[in-house]
Amino acid sequence: MKLKINNLSKTYGNGVKALDNLNLEIGSGMFGLLGPNGAGKSSLMRTIATLQKPDSGSIEFDGINVLENQMDLRKVLGYLPQEFGVYPNMSAENLLDYFARLKGISSKKDRNAIVKQVLEVTNLYDVRMKNVNGYSGGMKQRFGIAQLLLNNPKLIIVDEPTAGLDPAERHRFLNVLREIGTNHTVIFSTHIVDDVKELCNEMAILNGGKILNQSTPKAATDTLIGQIWTKIIDRDLLEQNEKEFNIISSNYNQDNTLNVRVYSKEQPNESFVLAQPQLEDVYFVALKNDQ
Amino acid sequence: MFSTIFLFELKRWFKNPAFYIYIAIFFGLSMLMMGSSLGIFDSFKTTTSSNAVANSPIALNGMLNGLSVFIYFLLPSIVGASVYRDFKYNMHSILFSYPFSKWDYLMSKFLSSLTVVIIITLFVGLGAFLASFLPFVNPDLLGPQRIMAYIQSYLIFIIPNLFFYGVIVFSVVTITRNISVGFITVILLLFIQSMISSFTKEADNRYVVALFEPFGSDALSYYTKYWTVYEKNENLLPFTGVVLYNRLIWLSISTLILVVMYRYFSFTQTALSFGKSKNEERITKNNFGGITKINLPEVGFDFSTKQNLKTAWSLSTIDFKFIVKNWVFISIVIVGMLFILISALSAGAFFGTETYPVTWQMLEIPGSTFGLFINILTFLFSGILIHRGATSRMNHLIDVTPTPNWVLLLSKFLAVVKMQIVLLSVIMISGILFQIYKGYFDFEIGHYLYELYAIRLVHFVIWALLAFLIQTLFKNYLLGFFVLLLLSIGLNFLPLMGVEQQIYEFNSDPGFEYSDMNGYGHGLKFYYLYKFYWLALGSVFFSLSLLFWTRGLGQSAKSRFKDASARIKKTVAIPMTLSLIAFLGIGGAIYYQDNIVNENKSGNEAELEAVNWEKKYKKYENKTQPRITDVKIDMNLFPKERNFVANGSYILKNKSNEIIDSIFINHGEKTDVTFKVKTKLVSRDIVYNFDIYRLEQPLKPGDSIKMDFVVKNKPNDFFNDNSPVIYNGTFINNGIFPSIGYSSNSELEDDDVREKYGLKPKDRMANPTDSIARRNTYISSDADWITFETTVSTSDDQIAIAPGYLIKQWKKDGRNYFHYKMDRKMLNFYAFNSGEYEVKKDKWKNVIIEIYYHKGHEYNVGRMISGVKKSLDYYTANFSPYQHKQVRVIEFPRTGGGFAQSFANTIPFSEAIGFIAAVDDEDQNAVDYPFAVTSHEVAHQWWAHQVIGANVQGATLLSESLSEYSSLKVLEHAYGKSQMRKFLKNALDKYLQGRTFEGKKEQPLMLNENQQYIHYNKGSLVLYALSDFIGEKKMNNALKEYIKKVAYQEAPYTNSIELVEELKKATPDSLKYVINDMFETITLYDNRISDVTSKKLPNGKYQVDIQFQVSKYKADATGKRIFKDKQGNTLSFTKKGEKNKLESYPLADYVEIGIFNEQTIKGKKSDKELYLKKLKISKIDNKVTLIVNEKPTEVGVDPYNKLIDTNSDDNRRKL
Repeated sequence: MKLKINNLSKTYGNGVKALDNLNLEIGSGMFGLLGPNGAGKSSLMRTIATLQKPDSGSIEFDGINVLENQMDLRKVLGYLPQEFGVYPNMSAENLLDYFARLKGISSKKDRNAIVKQVLEVTNLYDVRMKNVNGYSGGMKQRFGIAQLLLNNPKLIIVDEPTAGLDPAERHRFLNVLREIGTNHTVIFSTHIVDDVKELCNEMAILNGGKILNQSTPKAATDTLIGQIWTKIIDRDLLEQNEKEFNIISSNYNQDNTLNVRVYSKEQPNESFVLAQPQLEDVYFVALKNDQ
Repeated sequence: MFSTIFLFELKRWFKNPAFYIYIAIFFGLSMLMMGSSLGIFDSFKTTTSSNAVANSPIALNGMLNGLSVFIYFLLPSIVGASVYRDFKYNMHSILFSYPFSKWDYLMSKFLSSLTVVIIITLFVGLGAFLASFLPFVNPDLLGPQRIMAYIQSYLIFIIPNLFFYGVIVFSVVTITRNISVGFITVILLLFIQSMISSFTKEADNRYVVALFEPFGSDALSYYTKYWTVYEKNENLLPFTGVVLYNRLIWLSISTLILVVMYRYFSFTQTALSFGKSKNEERITKNNFGGITKINLPEVGFDFSTKQNLKTAWSLSTIDFKFIVKNWVFISIVIVGMLFILISALSAGAFFGTETYPVTWQMLEIPGSTFGLFINILTFLFSGILIHRGATSRMNHLIDVTPTPNWVLLLSKFLAVVKMQIVLLSVIMISGILFQIYKGYFDFEIGHYLYELYAIRLVHFVIWALLAFLIQTLFKNYLLGFFVLLLLSIGLNFLPLMGVEQQIYEFNSDPGFEYSDMNGYGHGLKFYYLYKFYWLALGSVFFSLSLLFWTRGLGQSAKSRFKDASARIKKTVAIPMTLSLIAFLGIGGAIYYQDNIVNENKSGNEAELEAVNWEKKYKKYENKTQPRITDVKIDMNLFPKERNFVANGSYILKNKSNEIIDSIFINHGEKTDVTFKVKTKLVSRDIVYNFDIYRLEQPLKPGDSIKMDFVVKNKPNDFFNDNSPVIYNGTFINNGIFPSIGYSSNSELEDDDVREKYGLKPKDRMANPTDSIARRNTYISSDADWITFETTVSTSDDQIAIAPGYLIKQWKKDGRNYFHYKMDRKMLNFYAFNSGEYEVKKDKWKNVIIEIYYHKGHEYNVGRMISGVKKSLDYYTANFSPYQHKQVRVIEFPRTGGGFAQSFANTIPFSEAIGFIAAVDDEDQNAVDYPFAVTSHEVAHQWWAHQVIGANVQGATLLSESLSEYSSLKVLEHAYGKSQMRKFLKNALDKYLQGRTFEGKKEQPLMLNENQQYIHYNKGSLVLYALSDFIGEKKMNNALKEYIKKVAYQEAPYTNSIELVEELKKATPDSLKYVINDMFETITLYDNRISDVTSKKLPNGKYQVDIQFQVSKYKADATGKRIFKDKQGNTLSFTKKGEKNKLESYPLADYVEIGIFNEQTIKGKKSDKELYLKKLKISKIDNKVTLIVNEKPTEVGVDPYNKLIDTNSDDNRRKL
């Protein structure tokens, strides 16, 4: 069960190059796709999910040529878009039954069984009679997971699912996702580094339509061991420090001083101390290097 | 702030291409319509010709308002969306924090968007105006350009109506935040308008309807209904009285709605929704921090085609529920049902008497209006469903499922078809409800189901297929909807531009008609042929929709085409190609049949043919020809096979003093003519079927020859229907047989058209004194009186009838034969009827009465028999003996026409005009028309079959008017005077309306040129009034005298002058003016009561003071009023305090004054005459003081409308 993406390119009508000769290979398990807003994550996800066609390139999943045999992929695909709505005035149960039909589950008994199961998995069973368009954000995202599970998909694509969720909801959501990820290929895009850190056994950083870095979260962080330095500076000194050092991130302390982190093979000067690399550093370094 | 938002909104629209597209569409449409009325397409189509100019204020107003109806459909997306848009794009949360008042916000939004719509409508007027400068405009159809006409139309009607509609749509959309609700509201309002208008059929409540009908069209027609051609061309629109009140009422109501909306609206409000969920419950979050093991059950997947079809079906149910559970849909259904029920109340009424609510009528009532609504809902919901996923942003979830496109498309299509089925069932449910309400329990459920679902449904399905293509192509379903609406209605204008063949007009068909007697007849075959043809095209549309179906992200047009071509695979391409082949194949076959095998004539070609006929053969018109004296026909009808073969013979006699050497035969197709003497065929014309034979032995005066002929119909085939024979209820007259000599019937009538082709102007009929024309009757130009004998055969389950008496009847080879012979001379005018009949027999003295009727149509057979008896009583007593020993009434299907016709001793009578009438003897306002029509037809045995007028002007006064008079008298004697009022009021209304449509010129009664509104409607009014003036006995004696002089005469035939002379003799000098007014000129009155008071006198009697005005005028042929007599005398009067001057032709007239009170007989109120007398009037303004014995409740001047008065409502006044 491997997803192979070769030389994928897509340029939109307004000239934006969303995918730029992108290559990627993804095995089973949770795969995190990390990138800033507008990096091309959604374009990539939608392209894999057969919702849009690339200008060139190929995608293959488990022997299926995705661009040629869209239907075959759709049979094994579960997709949760970044943003979605539902038909108003329909209960979760009815909507799931609707999707189950669309996914080809012909027997009523089967549909009832799987709908019940996905409702329980996503803990929506108690509110199954409620209209989904009245759900809160987290419940709606869980509903999104419920619908994608219906066909027991081999390939699951979830596009920025945690955006806008409260911390508790986010936790619950990630737990469910993780549970699924154990025996499926799950591609999970986010701009939140912690999501990837907590969840993914493999990851890639995407920007400007290109993969900047692909590895596991652990390996990625390990590559930076001994290369991340930090110090506390005054706010006023930031511009000067930026000129001098390769600052990858800076954040405020309560006393209006800044914590700056610098990427450097060697200690930039004595004022810097070695820091334990974080996944976030990997992300920022990758983006920085791409500039 | 107001002007900032206002200008911002306007600018936004001015930058929007849609604005210019709408302008272009409406400008173009209006230019085309006006251009067509002005004759710019006349070189491709039937010549436009009219006395009324196309740009008269009233015509212009009609056209501009007609087009505005489409603009109403723009209101939801322009006016409705103005506030809605801010909510849709979540602008409101930002906008509403800005510092402006609710008033500024709402008013600027509303007024700016309304301004945009008004600008669009201005281009309608501009298009109409500029159309008059197009090339090929016929100047006769163009009146003077009057800017005032445009200003009036816009200020009085178009803009106020847009304001009213705009307010409602704006309020509804702003409050519900749903544009479709705006659409539904427009549809509902249109429904309501049709409903209100249906009330005006009852003339009694015209004023109330005029007051409250929201669009002012009924208010306008309150004044303009009877406008003559002259008045239409000359007058500006009236802006007084009820028009003014109506506008004020609706302007106030609109303002009120706006104010209520303003009060309701709040910046923070949420959309109004209807019907809250019943099980409200607080939702709390269940904290499930725990990890659940996911063990999904094994389920089976089925991606087979069969399963896909099942899925499509079940998905369609979900979409269908979405449509029908919508409260807006439900309200449409309810209003639609009300519309049908209310239309049913006044449908089918004829002289106040309704018909039984038979099923075909219930099916007919919803008519095209309801069909249009089904279409509109189809267009709308096709769009809503196709874009439903995208609208609710669920499309990406759906698009990644392994359900093929065709399943999704099919499911939505099925949902729309299910909706159509529901809407059609509304017709059935309303029909049955109405039948129950009327106590009619003969429910033909099968008939309902068959017509609605086996016949009509496919029509709407084909529209749905087009709707799916258009809505798939357009991303914005409102735009798609609008395009569909314009397409569906614009197609009706194709024939105006010369595209006349049905194969070019999407979803057109030859129609179908039902009659109880003949069912759907043979017409359905062609209906299905056309529907199959369009269905094939529809399948192509469906395949195209499939190719262009949006899946995934929306795309540019270019990549959609690329995608579509990539999607072409065998599974789509093969059905699509087959459908295309079927479409082109059937279309080609129809074209071939209609244009190559049978020459289909476009209107234009038909005109040219008529021109050539005249140019080529008119020279023979006055060539002396022998006359038909004896007719023998052997007619074989084959109802099952729908064919006939007739063998006939004429004896042709030279009645002239000249020697005749050649005979001109005018015949139909498939006719063979042979002579017993030697002849030579000198000329044969297969276009006009006009042959000339030269006799080897010329025919000397007084000599006769025999001519034999065989006439058949061309066989019917898959594409053509050539036989007049139908399955049940055939009715064929002698028009199918050869006639002798040139016939002027097919000449062009209209002088303007004639001029275009270089022909001399032509009178519709010759002058009464034209001695050449008087050689012929108006029935026949090749015979005088004939002997007649016929044998008719038909299938073994039918009876065949023809004029004459049954001599012998037998069966042979499983067919019925009937031998009829007439025992005396009769007109050359006969017919053959054949059907499965029940027969009811009766007798009047020695005369046998027989009614041949369709089983199940027994209702009024007794009334018809009574009509025959009472007529024979009256006519034999007052006119002359009845010449036959028998009266037969024969029912024929309504599909053959809604009339009855009198042949010698034989009266074919349509099932539609009496057989299913539900006569209410208790109702004073309902005429027993089965009785009345029967007595009219029986009267023709005198007025046509005894007295027959020459083929000159006024001929039908001698037949139709006198028959109307005769039957009115019979009706009056049988039912009393009260039935007269309804009948005469109806006749007055029809006459006054008839003259407004006069295409050539209105003639005085005695010079009428077969104009129905004159000879029937005015004729009955005038003759009835004359008998009232001079007395029934005197009148009938004059008629008796006239019959004595002219009955059964040979040429020269009598004319109206001779009748009027006879009537004059019976009229005293003081009333001679009545003859002049009523017969010789066109005379109208404008009489009204202006004031009345009454007081009780000491002696217990009542004094009544009445002030009334009498005004009389003559009208010329175009309807122009003339108040001066030949000497230039005229009367005028100006009422105190009024500006308008009343004018009148000089008066020395007797006008009836009546005083009434109410009496109650058997629980029903009716008038009781306290005083009724004709007073001599010589001035316009009159005052009389009269004493009556009882307390008066109502007075009237000419209270029974015996005089012709364009406003008969102000003749009476209640005290």
